[in-house]
Amino acid sequence: MIRDITIGQYYTAESVIHRLDPRIKIVGTLIYMISLFLFHKMSGYAAAILFFLFVLFLSRVPFSFSVRGLRPIFLMLIFTAFLNLFWTEGEVLLRIGALEITKEGIWKMAYISLRLILLILGASIMTLTTTPNDLTAGMERLLSPLKIFHAPVHEIAMMMSIALRFIPILIEETNRIMKAQMARGADFESGNILRKLKNMLPLVLPLFVSALRRANDLAQAMDARCYHGGKGRTRMYPLYFKGIDIVACFICMLYLAALYLTVRFLPI
Amino acid sequence: MKEKKGAFLRTEGLVHEYSRRDEEGNVTEIIRAVDGVDLSVEPGEFIAVLGANGSGKSTLAKHFNALLTPTDGVVYLDGKRTDQEENVLAIRQLAGMVFQNPDNQLVSNVVEEDVAFGPENLGVPTKEIRKRVKEGLESVGMYAYRKKSPNHLSGGQKQRVAIAGILAMQSGCIILDEATSMLDPMGRKSIIEQVLRLNKEKKITIILITHHMDEVVHADKVFVMKKGKVALSGTPRQVFGQAELLEECKVTLPEAAQIAEELYEHGMPVRTDILTMQELEEELERIFA
Repeated sequence: MIRDITIGQYYTAESVIHRLDPRIKIVGTLIYMISLFLFHKMSGYAAAILFFLFVLFLSRVPFSFSVRGLRPIFLMLIFTAFLNLFWTEGEVLLRIGALEITKEGIWKMAYISLRLILLILGASIMTLTTTPNDLTAGMERLLSPLKIFHAPVHEIAMMMSIALRFIPILIEETNRIMKAQMARGADFESGNILRKLKNMLPLVLPLFVSALRRANDLAQAMDARCYHGGKGRTRMYPLYFKGIDIVACFICMLYLAALYLTVRFLPI
Repeated sequence: MKEKKGAFLRTEGLVHEYSRRDEEGNVTEIIRAVDGVDLSVEPGEFIAVLGANGSGKSTLAKHFNALLTPTDGVVYLDGKRTDQEENVLAIRQLAGMVFQNPDNQLVSNVVEEDVAFGPENLGVPTKEIRKRVKEGLESVGMYAYRKKSPNHLSGGQKQRVAIAGILAMQSGCIILDEATSMLDPMGRKSIIEQVLRLNKEKKITIILITHHMDEVVHADKVFVMKKGKVALSGTPRQVFGQAELLEECKVTLPEAAQIAEELYEHGMPVRTDILTMQELEEELERIFA
């Protein structure tokens, strides 16, 4: 039975990275991801890989666990690698029939594959070490300047956390309705796509009705507990910067500086 | 606006109507769910409201914490009128509600953060919230589960978390709106025991809305609803003494009382005002001694 939804799978451990303020982790991850687009040199990638390994080591997430995030993009990775390998113009090294492998193609394949891999790994380090609740709280605080433009930041964060609570419940409910309808002779398997979609109706309809009823109940329960929007709300676990958060900021800047120096002064 | 001192909760000629509409939005039918209810509850009392499905007991309950406002009549909670916008937050802080479906009333996916939801809304300082959450969870015996997701808890445990959430708001009153009807017998028993203990030890006013007779035998006062009106009221013993009227309200006697009555009808000299199994046991021992 599915009882917990984890976005990008949270890995439970005690580490400095886990204890970092979620805002630092979100901003740090963004900076890291953007930094990957700023250079075209192998030395830069070496620096980025070293930094990733350093953070991974600190986070105590096993290496094998962290690379799981690559699984869903594996096919895409192979595909882009092939495209770049065979369709880049330049100095021809090898010819197989109509296909040419060029020197530039090999470099480009390596760059782009590494960039994709590091993008995914960098993002997954954040989701592996931050609980969904912390992520939501961090986003709410980071986006709060948008409130000036009347963006419903608090409401969106509240919706996200409610979704986190109710997705497993609705998945369970889907299974229950599915079994109930199958017991009455519903067929969700056979036929072409159109027929399958049509057969989904007896599943989707009761699910929607139930979701709306739940939403209604929850709204009433929130009302009863004095919920009146984000105004004047306090938190049990407010976010505040600690010593390690400031250290983390410095380490991020050090990384950027080191990256600049390697790319600037190393030949490749 | 402090009026009507003394009574914690008081309704005067409370009427609630809602209209059923057809697809074009025209009113096809007006239903009077609550029809002229006058009742009052003293602070620290344990009140039970009984009634069959559709008797209006749930609609009545939602007036006590201003989730609904009266079509006619007035409701005072702690001297504050529920139909005045500025009183609503204070009223809901004073009278917490546990709802029927345990899943649909927990907001957060961590138990302790859910308990903190009420105080957070009230703007209680962080330190105080943590203290209240700890105390709330401890007093319903759920402190060990504070880091768990509600999805891992049983129905009874979820309802206990909901009660902890109300305690953390420092409400003086807990309204249980059929809060036990979706629970198994064990869960039901544990919730009733918790609530009784909170009533005895912390003098928290309890308003129990239910259709299970066995839950109301410990109440100080029972109101039986029928078609939106209070058909019967009094102590449990007074109310259950009126078997015929109860039957009219489609309310059945507690199990022990039913057995006692059957025994009496079959010629056994038992008392007919028995309410609990324990009383029945003692009575039978007395007869056979």
